Amino acid sequence: MAAASSSDSDCGRAESNEASSKWLDAHYDPVANIHTFSSCLALADLHGDGEYKLVVGDLGPGGQHPRLKVLKGPTVLTESPLPALPAAAATFLMEQHEPRTPALALASGPCVYVYKNLRPYFKFSLPQLPPNPLEQDLWNQAKEDRIDPLTLKEMLEGIREKAEVPLSVQSLRFLQLELSEMEAFVSQHKSKSIKRQTVITTMTTLKKNLADEDAVSCLVLGTENKELLVLDPEAFIILAKMSLPSVPVFLDVSGQFDVEFRLAAACRNGNIYILRRDSKRPKYCIELSAQPVGLVRVHKVLVVGSTQDSLHGFTHKGKKLWTVQMPAAILTMNLLEQHSRGLQAVMAGLANGEVRIYRDKTLLNVIRTPDAVTSLCFGRYGREDNTLIMTTRGGGLIIKILKRTAVFVEGGGEAGPPPAQALKLNVPRKTRLYVDQTLREREAGTAMHRTFQTDLYLLRLRTARAYVQALESSLNPVSVTAREPLKLHAVVQGLGPTFKLTLHLQNTSAARPILGLLVCFLYNEVLYALPRAFFKVPLLVPGLSYPLETFVESLSDKGISDMIKVLVLREGQSAPLLSAHINMPVSEGLAAA
Amino acid sequence: MAEERLATRTPFPASAESQKPRLKKAQEFPILEKQNWLIHLHYIRKDYEACKAVIKEQLQETQGLCEYAIYVQALIFRLEGNIQESLELFQTCAVLSPQCADNLKQVARSLFLLGKHKAAIEVYNEAAKLNQTDWEICHNLGVCYIYLKQFKKAQEQLHNALHLNRHDLTYIMLGKIHLLEGDLDKAIEIYKKAVEFSPENTELLTTLGLLYLQLGIYQKAFEHLGNALTYDPTNYKAILAAGSMMQTHGDFDVALTKYRVVACAVPESPPLWNNIGMCFFGKKKYVAAISCLKRANYLAPFDWKILYNLGLVHLTMQQYASAFHFLSAAINFQPKMGELYMLLAVALTNLEDPENAKRAYAEAVRLDKCNPLVNLNYAVLLYNQGEKQGALAQYQEMEKKVHLLQDSTSLEFDAEMVDMAQKLGAALQVGEALVWTKPVKDTKSKHRTTSTSKAASLQQPLGSNQALGQAMSSAAAYGKLPSGAGGTSHLTKPPSLPLEPQPTVEAHPNEESAQIREK
Repeated sequence: MAAASSSDSDCGRAESNEASSKWLDAHYDPVANIHTFSSCLALADLHGDGEYKLVVGDLGPGGQHPRLKVLKGPTVLTESPLPALPAAAATFLMEQHEPRTPALALASGPCVYVYKNLRPYFKFSLPQLPPNPLEQDLWNQAKEDRIDPLTLKEMLEGIREKAEVPLSVQSLRFLQLELSEMEAFVSQHKSKSIKRQTVITTMTTLKKNLADEDAVSCLVLGTENKELLVLDPEAFIILAKMSLPSVPVFLDVSGQFDVEFRLAAACRNGNIYILRRDSKRPKYCIELSAQPVGLVRVHKVLVVGSTQDSLHGFTHKGKKLWTVQMPAAILTMNLLEQHSRGLQAVMAGLANGEVRIYRDKTLLNVIRTPDAVTSLCFGRYGREDNTLIMTTRGGGLIIKILKRTAVFVEGGGEAGPPPAQALKLNVPRKTRLYVDQTLREREAGTAMHRTFQTDLYLLRLRTARAYVQALESSLNPVSVTAREPLKLHAVVQGLGPTFKLTLHLQNTSAARPILGLLVCFLYNEVLYALPRAFFKVPLLVPGLSYPLETFVESLSDKGISDMIKVLVLREGQSAPLLSAHINMPVSEGLAAA
Repeated sequence: MAEERLATRTPFPASAESQKPRLKKAQEFPILEKQNWLIHLHYIRKDYEACKAVIKEQLQETQGLCEYAIYVQALIFRLEGNIQESLELFQTCAVLSPQCADNLKQVARSLFLLGKHKAAIEVYNEAAKLNQTDWEICHNLGVCYIYLKQFKKAQEQLHNALHLNRHDLTYIMLGKIHLLEGDLDKAIEIYKKAVEFSPENTELLTTLGLLYLQLGIYQKAFEHLGNALTYDPTNYKAILAAGSMMQTHGDFDVALTKYRVVACAVPESPPLWNNIGMCFFGKKKYVAAISCLKRANYLAPFDWKILYNLGLVHLTMQQYASAFHFLSAAINFQPKMGELYMLLAVALTNLEDPENAKRAYAEAVRLDKCNPLVNLNYAVLLYNQGEKQGALAQYQEMEKKVHLLQDSTSLEFDAEMVDMAQKLGAALQVGEALVWTKPVKDTKSKHRTTSTSKAASLQQPLGSNQALGQAMSSAAAYGKLPSGAGGTSHLTKPPSLPLEPQPTVEAHPNEESAQIREK
């Protein structure tokens, strides 16, 4: 293992300097190009030489080039491409014979690939699922041409509506086809037997009959069709099959298969189901009301991370013990086990680039990393007992070694009052002017008050007067008479000397159209010329806004502007209904010339 | 059971990989669920970009048949706020597998988020037919009924949900129904059970604490709020409520330290700055108090309680003209509170406008039912104006209120108020107030050195009560609880009293108030 290179930045919050940090920075490669999940990391003495290697089921950048990588120290020992994305990796002892080198199992798609001595050894495929008998029957009929494609489609749709057993891919595809394509599809595929295949979603190991560290283990598989399978390590036959109400995502097993075991499965419906030996169905159920993002057992406590940024502790019977809130979203979780001190704790990689270590609900340590950690693994690596391996979102690899002198104590993380309590309150300051004004108000408060009241009344009076005047002379742009409720607003466009004047006239009555309106412009004929100073308005349908456009030519070259008055009149009445005063802009076209 | 020995030498060659897809397309179909696990892992890590990329690939490969990919796509759409799109996708899922209750649940959830509660209820009922033991369906049905204001049905569904499986959320909703119905006791009952079930849920603890506070059971309120703060020392609601309780007890410095945490987390909270302002007021740092209150007022210009406090502080600062404006603004928002009119009257008296002051007092007396200060101040004004009859009537009214208060609570009266009342009693030549004998003894022990001004005689009890009421109801409003302290009737018609009194020049200088003090 590489010697600890001293680094400064990524220490825990509790330890500000390198000297008091519990970790030695062994290796950091920000471009290691490893993209994986915690479930695809495994540490094992693959060659039986006492030198532990790291096995990585690498998804490749963007999930494009899945590879199996084996790392020794900081370097990649071997690398081989995989046929499909790895869902989980595990190492386990297959048999009792010497030398006791563990085998490596890699779950991918519907298969488990087993390697021994890093050579492919065996491929286990999940058994085919039984097809729906009705569906089978229909395709058999199609094969003998006793059924036309249209009927086939109807029948299959009927099965899809009701049946317990879902249809095969072939039938589902068929149901999507257009009428014209059906014939060809049937003739192409009718001879094939219909298949239903499922895939592995998660995998873990379970000791067969001994609790020892180096005992033979079975593989436990979780599948997409909501089942759990236990495989025999030697013959690779299915020893037990259990069904779940939902698809398993994370598994945790304790005990021995032949004696007694407990199996916890975190599922896609947000529940965690706990099964025991001899139970084909879940015995207990924990409802999280959020999606689980990790499942780790510490001694007898099940620790679950949820998408609500919290860790929950549950007993093995599903009773809630505690909850801890995290500062950011949890990305991954794994177990930290320090054999020498008998310590078990949970590590959680957070989206804010922290790795937090908890024993029950007490925070033991915080590791700051330069990038968010997406997979974690703790154990013996190389010849060092307590090594922490982390991979980051950007594909980096971080290896840290726990110092042999390091002891995790409670309160190693945050304790006491929150740091914000020490900050000073940001109270707005008051200026000298403010103080002076305050003094002035104290002296002359009454006078100020009276002046203010007088002015207020004057203001109100003037407003009222102006309003009355506007109403009387129809100067307002909104007419509220019962017969012609109208709204007018005008827009002037252009730089001059020609402007475009657009009047938007709207009939605001609920249902009645308005007919027989006239528009008249009043303006200074020396300054402006309009093509039509007076025109009829078409019928106004209620609710619509009618743009009435006209051009205005500015005649003056002195850069003077004037007001144009717009009057909306009713035929036969001299008093306008509405009026608008438009302040024309200065013609810039002439000013420049 | 398919077993096959692999050729030991060639480990799953890369060349096979490139051939495979082409071979398969002609003959076999890819497994639809092939990458569901990957989609799910990306989804729970909230890595939505990666998730979408896998979904796209998967949907292309399966020609849109992969139900789970569509399902997660819909979930992501919903998280991104595209509820309508998510609804359509969920409906596609429901078509692909009509027997699955989960799809229906999500369809209903999207409908619910779109505000179509009735439609959501229908779909939930469909889902309930497929899965009868799902607490989530019952819970969500209950929530839908709450929005439709059918509280009976909502309660029924929520109790069903609790029966199937207990969840904090269900308790919270159930408590909310009781609060909406105005039944505090039942709500407390529910929250108590909830706290028993999950003793570390800070939201439950805080809500329960606030409810106790509303009922005036301070001991229990403090206990629960304290618990909430031990589990989460940065809980906004709990700190605000606990701080306001500390303020009532005069622990201004402790309250201020607590508020620092909130000021860091929620720097733009109007109730927070209001409470900080009142802390400074309690510490007699008036300029700082005004600064903080003005910030609060800037953040929440329509909150009458902040305006009330601003009025109070300005009265203390003898800035009567400013006080008048703040108080009249407060009255515009809350026209049903006697104390506000009383403060306005005090401001007007000091602005030498006794006519309008009297009208304000009359309104205050009409609205107020239990505060003897209102009557006392009115009596003083009337006496100063030479209306002995009226003053006497108000004095007697005040005595009645004092008797009532003494009977019902063991409240101690403010020393200054007692003092003033005794002087007024002497001036009015009423028999030396028997009422006061006992309280005077009590209050002497905590007699303060006062810089007596008339307004100052009013501020202390009101100020602290107000701060409490403010903190409580604003914290409660944060939790969407109906505030019992008032402020619900904002839209009532304006008060009958003219709030901008005419600047009638009052010839008589009222110096008698000073005389009274000198007596």
